[in-house]
Amino acid sequence: MKHLLINLVSRGTEMNFVGFRSDVRTLDEPTWLTKNTMAAGFKTAEPLEYHRSFLKENCRPDGRELGEFRTTTLNIGSISTADGSALVKIGNTTVMCGIKGELANPPVDAPNKGYIVPNVDLPPLCSSRFRPGPPGERAQAASQFIADVIESSAVIQKEDLCIVKGKLCWVLYCDIMCLDFDGNLLDACLIALLAALKNARLPEVTVNKETEAPEVNLESRRSLNIHKHPVGASFIVFDDSIMIVDPTAEEESLSTATITVVTDEEERLCALHKPGGTSLSGEKLQNCISRATTRHKEVRKLIDKVIQSAKTPK
Amino acid sequence: MPTDTKRVRGPEVSQSPSLFLCKTAAKKSTASNDARVDGRQRGQVDVRSVFVRCGLISQAKGSAYIEAGNTKLICCVYGPRETERKDETDMKSGRLITDMRFAPFSCRERGSWIQGSDEKDLSLMLLESLRPGVCLQKYPRSQIEVNVMVLENDGAVLAHAVTCASMALADAGIEMYDLVLGCSIRQEGATYLIDPTFLEENGCNLASGSRENLGSLTVAFLPSLNQISGLQSDGEMGEDTLTGGVRTCIEGCFKLYPVIQQALSKAVRRKAPPSES
Amino acid sequence: MPSSLSAQNKNKRRQFPATVFWFSLGIVMEVCGSSSPTLREFGCEQNLLSRPDGSSSFVQGDTSVLAGVYGPAEVKVSKEIYDRATLEVVMQPKVGLPTVRERAREQCVRETCKASLLSTLHPRSSLTLVLQVVHDDGSLLSCFLNSACMALMDAGLPMSCLFAGVTCAIDTDGQVITDPNAAQEKESRALMTFAIDSTERRVMMSSTRGSFTVHELQQCIAVSQKASDKIFQFYRDSVRRRYSKTL
Repeated sequence: MKHLLINLVSRGTEMNFVGFRSDVRTLDEPTWLTKNTMAAGFKTAEPLEYHRSFLKENCRPDGRELGEFRTTTLNIGSISTADGSALVKIGNTTVMCGIKGELANPPVDAPNKGYIVPNVDLPPLCSSRFRPGPPGERAQAASQFIADVIESSAVIQKEDLCIVKGKLCWVLYCDIMCLDFDGNLLDACLIALLAALKNARLPEVTVNKETEAPEVNLESRRSLNIHKHPVGASFIVFDDSIMIVDPTAEEESLSTATITVVTDEEERLCALHKPGGTSLSGEKLQNCISRATTRHKEVRKLIDKVIQSAKTPK
Repeated sequence: MPTDTKRVRGPEVSQSPSLFLCKTAAKKSTASNDARVDGRQRGQVDVRSVFVRCGLISQAKGSAYIEAGNTKLICCVYGPRETERKDETDMKSGRLITDMRFAPFSCRERGSWIQGSDEKDLSLMLLESLRPGVCLQKYPRSQIEVNVMVLENDGAVLAHAVTCASMALADAGIEMYDLVLGCSIRQEGATYLIDPTFLEENGCNLASGSRENLGSLTVAFLPSLNQISGLQSDGEMGEDTLTGGVRTCIEGCFKLYPVIQQALSKAVRRKAPPSES
Repeated sequence: MPSSLSAQNKNKRRQFPATVFWFSLGIVMEVCGSSSPTLREFGCEQNLLSRPDGSSSFVQGDTSVLAGVYGPAEVKVSKEIYDRATLEVVMQPKVGLPTVRERAREQCVRETCKASLLSTLHPRSSLTLVLQVVHDDGSLLSCFLNSACMALMDAGLPMSCLFAGVTCAIDTDGQVITDPNAAQEKESRALMTFAIDSTERRVMMSSTRGSFTVHELQQCIAVSQKASDKIFQFYRDSVRRRYSKTL
């Protein structure tokens, strides 16, 4: 039996990402915080001050440095009803992506292309801040962002999804669902999407010459051609000046701006997404970009390792 | 159908590739009648081995994950918090809200993001099965939300949803009279298939051609009170078969019981480790 | 400059009785010529709608957006924020219903406005910004931002800084085109829209399409910063012209 989550808990391929700074320092929390039983109350009553007291010491309440990502784990192919699937955990944030291929007529304005339809859902299950019903603004903005990255990076060439020009093509429904929302949704969604696309196997389709009806052979499947590997890195700005990487939900809610940088393996940028907030100088943006390129290498290594271990029989 | 403006839209129509399967692929294994596809035996209380874990979701008050064969479900409990509907007449006891959904990739055919009527039916059945187990009078003017997400549907989802939800409620520290366990069977003539898979549930490999006593049965059971809180049956079954089926389901629940207890005590131990002294 | 400007605006209604106010409603419409970095001809008309508290229509070439601001007004209890105003941005496309794309743009404009507005001065109140596309001929997001800024100024809301939206396209030869039209956008390899603030000329918002190098990004930011000067100058001139008659 293939346990989906136990993989993550115990056997999962884990990688610890180290921050900008090479010196490893022990976490020295402000002593009056750790010793004081009021600490929990302080956190609830004055969250901003609580975080400030940690940031003054160049660390965060969860023990990370400012430029440190949380442990990222990846599990692929655990959903057998999907053509490709991946489950990503960045710290507590858990995102699952399932890909299902369906057949359709190609778009009229591009008869040699297929469709990729990404959607992000934030069900009430993942956090108490989301209500049941149609997706809220946050989920819609995330869906649009993922769609834009797919378009910008050309992770899959839509021409590859065409089966018969003007007649038949694949529609890749990439449904991304957040199971546990603890910040940095966009990074997790991108890793889940990329890993699921790499995991996806579509059945072979031939068109019967006499009836012109498609025939599907589930026995022979082939994987998708992944052209680029877009990987994101998200940052928040705290108190208009301090940059923090990979924010938790709490840090996000206290931030004054968020930035997501998406890079590909050629160190080109696929997206520099900063929806408003505090203004940043070009220099600070440059710092984000260089952190994003190192993050890209780390995530690529993780994905390759997991895909490799999935191929070798256990 | 009105267009969905809140999601990225695909083509107007698209078909699942399973509609265009080559005919040659459909071949039936005519092995022994007693063996099921996954190696279990018909007519025996042989539930799929389950993997359960509590407290995986950091944001929720309580959560549980259950995996039985390929069926995978996750459940989160939020609350008790102030009720949203203040106009409700009965403020003396708490309100239980259930929401059961299938992930779009959880079934063989891709599902829609919009909640269908079957999801609403299942939510309601889940609610009715859970309610007798929860001490709702302890939570006046408040509501407790139970969200179930089916990640992969390989049969008997309602039964496992009941088990998973009651575990999540217990993990959230909601006061309960008893756990609620669920078990399903599929009746096929004289024999039955306990904890059926998706294919078995839909009668894809029907052993005999008989159309008598064909149906499905799901029972929600309170094991230490020895009471049934929910019973859902469809198809046509004789009285004896039905009572026999209920008995089989209870037997199935008892097989599940120790595993659930173990997982819960493990979760409690993790939350509050026994003091060293 | 920005702070004095908002102070002027805020006092507008208190100083003039309604009749005089009508007189001061003289239309401010002007056109800015083009030099390097080239922007299409742009212009703006403020206070053209009677119902909203502030309104503007911003035109960049053939792209045109109408903006209306309502507030500070009473806020729904569920949306109330105890220490600041709740800002809502609604974007209406030319035809049909708003889609996911509009929702993502709403988020960009809202967060930009939020950062520049001094919303703590109006706690527990609501601000609503409605943006209506009149015609889309490229650089729509930057036009949204510019019209939003002009409308907020017209409403006399206190702001810490102004912002200007600039869209840059990189064509297949690697040339940077500022303020592209729809055809240029379609042919471009990458498209970036930035919101630049008026105090330090830094990047408040960024939204990109297509892939590009870090060098190209820095180049586009620099060009946008230069182009934003023109827009800020335009803001200043139009406000000066408008209030010179009344002050």
